[in-house]
Amino acid sequence: MNKSSYWLLTIPLFLASCIQPEQENTECDIEAVSLHLENPSDFFFHDYDTLMTVPVTEDVVYDIVFKIKAEAEMQCVPTSFRITDKASLYKIAEDDTETPFLNGSLVDFSNEQVHRFRVVSEDKVWSRNYTLSVGHEPPCEGYMSFDFESYSLDPSGKYYVWEGPKFFNDEEWKNGNPGFKLSRSSAKPMEYPTTPVAGGGPDGSACVKLETCDTGQFGKMVNMRLASGSMFNGVFDISNALKDALKATLLGSPYTYKPTQLRAWLRYEPGNVFQNRDGSKMDGVIDEPDMYIVFYRNEDEYGNKIQIDGNDVLTSPHIVGLGRLPHHFNEDGSDKLTDNPIHGVTAEWQEFRIPVEYRAEVDPDILEARGYSLIIGSASSWQGAFFKGAVGSKFFIDKMQLFCDEKETEQETPQI
Amino acid sequence: MKHTLYIIVALLSLAAHAQQEDAWQKWGPTEGLKGGGFIVRAGYVVGGTTPLPLPAEIRKINEFSPRGGVSLGIDGYRMFSKRWGVSLGAHFFWEGFHTSADVKNYYTRVKRDEDVTDGYCTGTNVTNTEMWGVTIPLLATFRISPRWNVSFGPYLSYYFKQTFTGEVYDNEDGIGYLRVGSPIGPKIDADRNTPFTYPDDFADNMRPMNVGIEVGFDWKALRHMNVFGLLDWGLTNIWDPKFEAITFKMFPIYGTVGVAYRY
Repeated sequence: MNKSSYWLLTIPLFLASCIQPEQENTECDIEAVSLHLENPSDFFFHDYDTLMTVPVTEDVVYDIVFKIKAEAEMQCVPTSFRITDKASLYKIAEDDTETPFLNGSLVDFSNEQVHRFRVVSEDKVWSRNYTLSVGHEPPCEGYMSFDFESYSLDPSGKYYVWEGPKFFNDEEWKNGNPGFKLSRSSAKPMEYPTTPVAGGGPDGSACVKLETCDTGQFGKMVNMRLASGSMFNGVFDISNALKDALKATLLGSPYTYKPTQLRAWLRYEPGNVFQNRDGSKMDGVIDEPDMYIVFYRNEDEYGNKIQIDGNDVLTSPHIVGLGRLPHHFNEDGSDKLTDNPIHGVTAEWQEFRIPVEYRAEVDPDILEARGYSLIIGSASSWQGAFFKGAVGSKFFIDKMQLFCDEKETEQETPQI
Repeated sequence: MKHTLYIIVALLSLAAHAQQEDAWQKWGPTEGLKGGGFIVRAGYVVGGTTPLPLPAEIRKINEFSPRGGVSLGIDGYRMFSKRWGVSLGAHFFWEGFHTSADVKNYYTRVKRDEDVTDGYCTGTNVTNTEMWGVTIPLLATFRISPRWNVSFGPYLSYYFKQTFTGEVYDNEDGIGYLRVGSPIGPKIDADRNTPFTYPDDFADNMRPMNVGIEVGFDWKALRHMNVFGLLDWGLTNIWDPKFEAITFKMFPIYGTVGVAYRY
């Protein structure tokens, strides 16, 4: 570069000088909490449970609850938070005074005390409230029945949520409705893929309807043209809902019984036109519902957490037991789309029994130590994970029962 | 001897002056120094529609490239004296740009199927705009030399069609998200395959007209051909004042270089 060209260097400098000083951060989240324990196994079934990642939700106050062993009593524990860069964390006392919280300070968890925290953004304009406490792991029941009678609108009033057993995350059945809300925020509660049907059950009580819905223009743009209705236990990670809906579906809850059979009353109405991911019509294919029960080892040999999501729910090598509505499969094990499904679910209510087949031994000690997780999942389109299916396919579910090893003989099917 | 020198210098300067007068005549309007005429222009347009100053939400400019960039026009001009005149024209243009910038906590509106969501985006923001229209400049022209003209004055642009599209996705560090509604709303991640996209109606909220200042020069390269350059600096915010999805004002600033035929 000759001397006269040096002025060219001033152009990027000039452009850079147009960039204003960075504004102060406005976000104020607790991203993760960790408890520093000498012997985590005194309190937790898994060492990884001492660190909790906190999801970013719409809750006005988000309750962070560490679940500890039923017999454990936790006292003062050094606690650390990871919060938004440059935000400040305050602990709120009973008299509402706030004092800055220093990471590593002791928090007294005795008697399941609930502590209040507030995170204030760097610009001091925004804040979010949290509570922190420990709760004792509820005991699991070896037989469960689900009537889906207990449902209500979520806090935003947009879609329905169903009460689940205590050992489920948030004690709720989860579904893809929060993701659907992101793409169609104007949808009414009854326009969501997973809805209650009052009086729709085989005995005239409420049942659950899963329906494959069109995701409209937005879905088309990102090549996710339909959303299968779904129902599962676990966590729906809203932050991943658009980027990777399957990865957003975190399945399973630790369970201390060995499940043997799932029973449910089902009926199904397939949609008229089966479409491929690109929206093209696939002739000679009829949509099928799916229902499965998966039992998997939730920790690897190095003590790392195994989290099954929508991608590997039926294929993970950590699965020890699996039961599923019957489908056709190709010789290589891949799903076979046909026009003569064998699941047997019709437009009339019938009770189905899905036995769990084990491919590995279940270790009773690991079972007792919550080393296995249970997934009960349902979908109105069995290929919905690949965004293939028929819009309008409707899967009705009611009166579900889970039988486990030692309890199966003690229970009788409720009379319908 | 001294007198002779004076005479020679005087004669030479007279000759030079005469020659210069010839030049003013030669490169001037066809009907003498006070006449008028037409100039037909064809040019390449480069520029951008930009917030001024850049808002603090914009942290880094990654890319900037012009889109389209054609201008065809005609000016009528009239010289009132040897140096001063006016011109009035109509320049038809197609102009636009593409830019990519890293943003932090940038308030905007994104498309969610048939709905829209307002929120605060952090990540990489890509914006494209194109405009088709006509600019009517009314300029004072000044001849600084026989072959050089400069001009200055207001203009009015009318747009036949405008587009404004864009999306937000993850930046080089993999960070790309929207806080729905407010900085404490749900945090939704996005990437290049599933970006947040501006709604289709952004362009409907663009004003159909713009007023600004034009400055330009003409260099008479040949007897009938000019080389010219001009800069249109818009002074009107491109957005309708009622439009809330973009919180800062944006102004079109486009330059044109080209050749012209002078009648």
